[in-house]
Amino acid sequence: MTNVLLKGIEKRFGSVEVIRGVDLQIDDGEFVVFVGPSGCGKSTLLRLISGLEHISAGDILIGDRLVNEVQPAQRGVAMVFQSYALYPHLTVRDNMGFGLKVRKMPADERQKRVAEAAATLKLDTLLDRYPRELSGGQRQRVAIGRAIVGHPDVFLFDEPLSNLDAELRVHMRSEIAALHKRLATTMIYVTHDQIEAMTLADKIVVLRDGRVEQVGSPRTLYENPANIFVAQFIGSPKMNVLPADAAPLLAALPATLSPAESVGVRPEHLMVVKPGEGILRGKVTLAEYTGAVTLLHVALADGHTCLAIYDKQEMPEVGAEIGLKADARDLHFFDSHGQATKLRSN
Amino acid sequence: MEAWLFVSPSAVGFLIFFLGPLCAVVYFSMTEWNLLTQQAAFVGLANFEDALLENPDFWHVVRNSVIFALGLVPLNMALALTLALALSRPFFGVVFFRTVFFAPVVTSAIAWAIVWKFLLQGEGGFINQMLAIVGISGPNWLREPNWAMAAVIVTRVIKMVGLNMILYIAALQAIPRDYEAAARLEGASRWQIFRMIIWPLLAPTTLIIMVITTIGSFKVFDHIYQMTGGGPENGTLVLAFYIYQQGFKFFNIGYASALAMIMFVIVMMLTIVQVMLRRKGAE
Repeated sequence: MTNVLLKGIEKRFGSVEVIRGVDLQIDDGEFVVFVGPSGCGKSTLLRLISGLEHISAGDILIGDRLVNEVQPAQRGVAMVFQSYALYPHLTVRDNMGFGLKVRKMPADERQKRVAEAAATLKLDTLLDRYPRELSGGQRQRVAIGRAIVGHPDVFLFDEPLSNLDAELRVHMRSEIAALHKRLATTMIYVTHDQIEAMTLADKIVVLRDGRVEQVGSPRTLYENPANIFVAQFIGSPKMNVLPADAAPLLAALPATLSPAESVGVRPEHLMVVKPGEGILRGKVTLAEYTGAVTLLHVALADGHTCLAIYDKQEMPEVGAEIGLKADARDLHFFDSHGQATKLRSN
Repeated sequence: MEAWLFVSPSAVGFLIFFLGPLCAVVYFSMTEWNLLTQQAAFVGLANFEDALLENPDFWHVVRNSVIFALGLVPLNMALALTLALALSRPFFGVVFFRTVFFAPVVTSAIAWAIVWKFLLQGEGGFINQMLAIVGISGPNWLREPNWAMAAVIVTRVIKMVGLNMILYIAALQAIPRDYEAAARLEGASRWQIFRMIIWPLLAPTTLIIMVITTIGSFKVFDHIYQMTGGGPENGTLVLAFYIYQQGFKFFNIGYASALAMIMFVIVMMLTIVQVMLRRKGAE
């Protein structure tokens, strides 16, 4: 059982508060993704769990053991760095076996473990190469292999795919998902890429300014965001947020608008109709053709711009007037503080 | 033509002040040329033969130079690395300490040697007075054969260590911090991180430092000239100073040129050996 529990975690660098009271429960075998914009504290939180940074306040429990004062190597965690951090003067074999060597594991046992991990990651033929002789994807696999050989209780990934090109990133993402399935070990993964977060996670933790904004499954975050920040951060392209007055123009509402101040609707939930069919109207200012769909930038009469995904063949011309509609179930309402709210029924 | 004109300012300087004298030394080394009588005679390899086979002073001087290098190079490098490890990470006052250790590098070697000559005087010297406070009776550093060499080496190390320290600091700062973080997570101790990660990654810098420090130690002149004059009992008479003596004290320019050629060959051979050792170590 290796669950991870964070209680009231705070971290300050001098007078700068980076993590401001994080409480989080991560269950055994769960794949948890920390996501948020740059500077939100997600990597710092990961380093606090690893022990590479000391917490300023709070408690960290790994497998029900309080580890606040435990050295990084004794926490049972292994980390894959964004830069891979492969030692350039050591071969793949020695890189992967480094941790076992410093822990004085006998050479034959060490070789066995390295061979096992290499077989798992298809690195068998690369064991005698140096990191400079490997491609980006191979280096990434070696970094993962180095983490695997120690049989850690918890894997920590710090933006491991951000140095790879788009195609390789998709491929490695599926490899990491497969690895999690095979090992069933607790994994904590940091990324700023919400597609990575959505595809990999059992549970996503959205962070902003050192605080947790929402914790939940990808579906929960997409369908029931707790606030405007999460609503706009999860989902691509990001959710349109309009004044609440726009809601009755998009769909028939069985309720009064109070206490909602704004309404959110995802671009993929906006239906583009003829100008007469929708009450909400606007002018197309830009049409971005991506192949499968077209992303329309629509200027509304009140000055707001909203994005709509259009998936039909004939494309509205730039400057054309269009109408917009949505299903009432796809509207998200937020109060004056940006928090999700329900409408009161009539 | 334009290209030649563009490089000409540098090329002319190179020809007059570097290549010209170099060729001249090769020629002079094969003459017997006395500066006082202005009589020069071509003698082939006689000067080399005399130095290598007949002159007992020559091998004594080479031995002194080797002792000087063997004392100075390891001490300088160990101290430079220790200082660099202490001063490579930012902390309050780090710039002050780096400046303190680098300042001697930019001070005049002669001024430095004069100050140390005073500090190392027999009875009235500052060092011996300090030693006397703790009940140690210090030797007459620069007048006793065994101590003079050590004293010159140590003062030279203190003067030049700042340069190597800066080179090591630059190399240490170029090593990504993630390597250390990864090694710590894998359970490596500070010593293991240094021995298994940092030290191998410093190898190219270590080679450069070793080569330039060795060359510098064979070329040492100003310290010897000012502090000991090669004495006592020729105990600190090193090759560069011996060449100076032959050329400008005894005016045997031809012989001095031959000695300079020999020194050039020795230093070059040492450099080649060091580079080869490094290559072998890297394999």
